[in-house]
Amino acid sequence: MWRLARRKRNAVSLKPTLPMVTVSYGVLMFAAIISIVPFLYILSTSVKDTNSLFSYPPEWIPDVLYWGNYAKLLQETSFLNWTLNTFMIGLAVTVLKLVIDAMAAYSLAKLQFAGKKTVSAVLLLAVAIPVAALVIPLFFLVRSMGLLNTYWALILPALANPLGIFLLRSFIVSLPDDLIHSARLDGAGELKIFAQIILPLIRSGLVVHAIFTFMLQYTNFLWPLVAIQSESRQVLTVGISSLKSNFVVDWGLISAASLLATIPITLLFIALQRFFLAQSLSSALKG
Amino acid sequence: MTAYLFLAPALVFFGTFLIWPGLSLFVQTFHNGGVMSPAVFVGTENWERTFVDPLVLKTIWNTLRYCLMAIPAVFVIAMLFALALNSIPVGQTAFKTIIYYPTLQPILIAALMFTFVLHQDFGVLNIVMRAITGEPVNFLGDEDLAMPTIAMVEVWKGMGFWALLFLAGIQNLPRDLYHAAELDGAGPVRRFFQLTLPLLKPTFFFSVTFATIVNLQVFDSIFVLTDGGPFHSTASTTWYIYRSLFTFSEPGYGATLSFVLVLVVLVLTAIQSYAFRDKS
Repeated sequence: MWRLARRKRNAVSLKPTLPMVTVSYGVLMFAAIISIVPFLYILSTSVKDTNSLFSYPPEWIPDVLYWGNYAKLLQETSFLNWTLNTFMIGLAVTVLKLVIDAMAAYSLAKLQFAGKKTVSAVLLLAVAIPVAALVIPLFFLVRSMGLLNTYWALILPALANPLGIFLLRSFIVSLPDDLIHSARLDGAGELKIFAQIILPLIRSGLVVHAIFTFMLQYTNFLWPLVAIQSESRQVLTVGISSLKSNFVVDWGLISAASLLATIPITLLFIALQRFFLAQSLSSALKG
Repeated sequence: MTAYLFLAPALVFFGTFLIWPGLSLFVQTFHNGGVMSPAVFVGTENWERTFVDPLVLKTIWNTLRYCLMAIPAVFVIAMLFALALNSIPVGQTAFKTIIYYPTLQPILIAALMFTFVLHQDFGVLNIVMRAITGEPVNFLGDEDLAMPTIAMVEVWKGMGFWALLFLAGIQNLPRDLYHAAELDGAGPVRRFFQLTLPLLKPTFFFSVTFATIVNLQVFDSIFVLTDGGPFHSTASTTWYIYRSLFTFSEPGYGATLSFVLVLVVLVLTAIQSYAFRDKS
């Protein structure tokens, strides 16, 4: 009891001093400004006619809002296709990976079998393999499977990443063994235990895993650049970057595309903010 | 038996799309061709060429140089932000949200946005530069400035992630030690260097290892901002690997460089886990 009292008193005494608080707010205002200004700048660029971009001094808020960049983006490029592809592939990978990784994590966390240590060690070692280094052999493998330039080329290799297994295992390990034992005594099969007892209990772990997997797909660039050739099957990141490779760079078009591409992830962030800000980080630390 | 069945789907994909490519990567270092024509066995030719090729050596040097700029910079800045977040009484969530926002975007989008920020004629950073020095700065066209600029973009994109990670680490530290230190008369600066930093060692181990693995593969921002130029001053290892497949059509040679990249990552990871090992 006295410890609790002491902790409370000391917590008050450790309060940062006024100059420290002032400096901290200064630092954070600076951080906030540099974080936000680039977004505001492309927003401003995207509603300007490309010619007026070069006027100096620049106008942050143009007198007349110009929507031509957005119209051109949606009508003359495959932007909507790219968005749709990105979401389809992202969702497919997320759902499949969630099931596959949860099963493997359950096996590694709660079941006994020969070779368990070896399997864990190999999976852990593979976390350190840089994916960029596997692009060349993966290209030939996927080509020999006849999957180059298909959605499968983006979905299947993404299922091999073992990081998610460790993430989910850390959630399952902490569940009490008795829970599983008593279910077994009641005659429940392993599949039933897994689906009806384990999965509901690690719900927050599954959400973190899903966000992590989806974001990884959403931001993926090098592999789709290598594996997909036809423009209409491309994902958002590579598609937008291809807008820059034209001979005459259409800055208005690129700014509109960049800005629109930030919207879906922003919505996802607003909806699942507490998982992004708190839980994903603390569980990343554990893994 | 059930245990293996639960594990099987993961292992099938893991074996097919990670272990198998890893093994064939090694085999490919002894071959060349294969994109348009069948691959030919060339013995150790790729290996002999790799370590004397000035461009390859330059990409390795560029990649290490980039890591040495970007990783310390992002850690110092993020730690500053984390300490600031930790000492404010109100508004923490709002600032966390804003600072984390750039981290959410694909690095590709961040890089594209910075083509606007850095543009010589209309870039906002150059508008500031012109106001201060009267001259715009050619951030991406200057051989000495291009790589630091790439590092700056990556730091901008990564600072929110690391700031929140460090903040979580700081907030998990045992409070009692801080009271003891304060009773001993340790000021905030001494508390930071003698308590916070040493206690955060596990966080740093994870951070340094993870940041090294990710940053040694730097590609997206380079592809968009400079495509390796000017004069290959921003050509990274991954950039060369990509080019070896599609532009130079020498996948075997690219595979050799890929293999070197794997070895570098594994060696650095091993060194880091040795350096951060628990001495107790």
